[in-house]
Amino acid sequence: MNEKRPFFGWLIFVVCALGMFALGLLAASISERRNESVQARLQFMEPIADFEADNAKWGRSFPREYNSWELTKTDNGNTRHGGSGFRDYLAEDPRIVILFAGFAFGKDYNQARGHYWAVHDVTTTKRVNDKTAATCWTCKSPDVPRLMKRTGLANFYKGKFMPLKDEVKNPIGCADCHNNKTMALQISRPALKEAFQRMGKDIGKVSHQEMRSLVCAQCHVTYYFKDKKTNYLVFPWDDGLGAEDIEKYFERLDFSEWVHPISGVRMLKTRHPDYEIYTKGIHAYRGVSCADCHMPYKSEGGIKYTDHQVQSPLLNVANSCQVCHRWSEKEIVSRVESMQDKHKEILSRATEAIARAHLEIGDAAKHGATDQELQRARQTLRRAQFYWDYVASNNGMGFHAPQETARVLDKALNLAMECRLEANRIRARHGVLEPLEMPDISTKEKALAFAKPYIDAAKAKEKPTPKP
Amino acid sequence: MTIGDLLLLRFLQGRLRTACYAMGGMTFGLGCAVAAISNAASYLSDDPKACINCHIMNPEYASWQHSSHGRVTVCNDCHVPHGNLAAKLFYKAKDGSRHSLLYTLRRENQVIQAIPGSKKVIQQNCLRCHRNAVAGAVAPVHQSFERSCTDCHREVPHGRVHSLSSAPNAAVPPLSPVTPNWMKKLSSGEVDK
Repeated sequence: MNEKRPFFGWLIFVVCALGMFALGLLAASISERRNESVQARLQFMEPIADFEADNAKWGRSFPREYNSWELTKTDNGNTRHGGSGFRDYLAEDPRIVILFAGFAFGKDYNQARGHYWAVHDVTTTKRVNDKTAATCWTCKSPDVPRLMKRTGLANFYKGKFMPLKDEVKNPIGCADCHNNKTMALQISRPALKEAFQRMGKDIGKVSHQEMRSLVCAQCHVTYYFKDKKTNYLVFPWDDGLGAEDIEKYFERLDFSEWVHPISGVRMLKTRHPDYEIYTKGIHAYRGVSCADCHMPYKSEGGIKYTDHQVQSPLLNVANSCQVCHRWSEKEIVSRVESMQDKHKEILSRATEAIARAHLEIGDAAKHGATDQELQRARQTLRRAQFYWDYVASNNGMGFHAPQETARVLDKALNLAMECRLEANRIRARHGVLEPLEMPDISTKEKALAFAKPYIDAAKAKEKPTPKP
Repeated sequence: MTIGDLLLLRFLQGRLRTACYAMGGMTFGLGCAVAAISNAASYLSDDPKACINCHIMNPEYASWQHSSHGRVTVCNDCHVPHGNLAAKLFYKAKDGSRHSLLYTLRRENQVIQAIPGSKKVIQQNCLRCHRNAVAGAVAPVHQSFERSCTDCHREVPHGRVHSLSSAPNAAVPPLSPVTPNWMKKLSSGEVDK
């Protein structure tokens, strides 16, 4: 056949050649434009080195994000119950001095300011001293991952805080959440990864939307140090993120942070379980991330970008709340504040009950009640303050999950009242029938002065003077 | 001669037929490669990631993700008709071919705007979910397209300001690499271990 019509073979050849050539061109064009989407997306003025902790260096390539991050140093004024300005929790409610007597938080406990102040504030708080573990640096600076790599994680935790003072200079910033090459969100702190592993979850397999909360959950979570020797940072999440789950975890370990010098209770401490409580709220249920409200999209001229001035949404209602809630700013703020006011009311009642419970157990012991007699009351108070702290140490004054925090506070209040009943029954057994008169702890100074003798006595008991 | 004969090139003989098979196979293979690097199969899905196979939709992806619609809708909820599957697929094919042609020829506008046909689909989709909200409206919005929802609700959902360069560092999901993992492992020598 092709002998008869040789042109036919050539025709096929040419058609195929043209077809393949066109297909090849298309493939090349697609590849080229694929490349654009990788390169055009990010324009680096200069490459950013691995472990680059200097936020300004990242800022050269990403000036808008950097400038808005820098604004975390400004004090926009506090909101009614929060914000990122200065706020002395102990002065605002001196009863907290009693609750944390004998523990670092009873000395100095201020509202956290903007990310910009992280290093400054951790080095000036009275909670930190020569004995403080290096672990306390973990959440304060993008210098930390470098130091962890240098000495190994366990050795980093084992070290002391003060010797690293000259190496940790940059406050919470770019490298804490971003990959230096792709700018993708990434987890830079091992404690969160380890907690996920123990829960049987793979943090490498979460969606971008989840990452927009999980990068915050590297630090805005509750934690504890495994023991005094290793100071290994652990998130107590093995049983779940709820208050009951975490209590169950600590009870299994029979863990305690300190012994309360007034009541003799072996105390637990919760630290800002912001992420944990957020997961119990309506916004999390609807798939809204931390960044959606605290770092909303911002328009500047023709450019849109993520506002890196992490702050209370109440200071930026138009960009955060109003994206979904189309009411007036005034209405939104008053709605949030009314929730927070109610929350604060329950919180305050629980604080009062727990403070009184500590004093009443202390009074019972003073009148001769034995440790065995007081054991149940102490255990109840341990639980009460744990539940109270789970909510009180949380930022947002209950807004992140109003019903859940009200439920937990109710539990704390109820336990504290059970404890007070028990403590007063014991006091009566030892002949004290009158209610205990509350000391004057109306200011931070008075409360500190009241707690001091108890703290000193407990210290003296702890360190018996060496025999000559 | 049946269709089968035509397809199987029965009218050719001997070496010519073999050669045609070979060339057909090459064309088909290269076609498959083009389909793979262009993520062609993803266009059958409703995943918003398919819409940013071409990076020019990144600002739209980012503004959608940050909007109130970001948690409850995907691109296709608004941008393709949902009357029946055939209409949906036909519209996707039609719109998609237009997009890919413009994109390949680099004819995209600096500011992408909905063409009239697209506006009509969007309007129908606004009503698909929000019909109850406008049922009592004085103006019969769903009967006339002289006024559409987005004429007033101009921020929904992509915002008023948009252009190809309006979201320069948008954190959109990256394209998955073309080279399969086993091939990467081969070239990085991990297989030897």
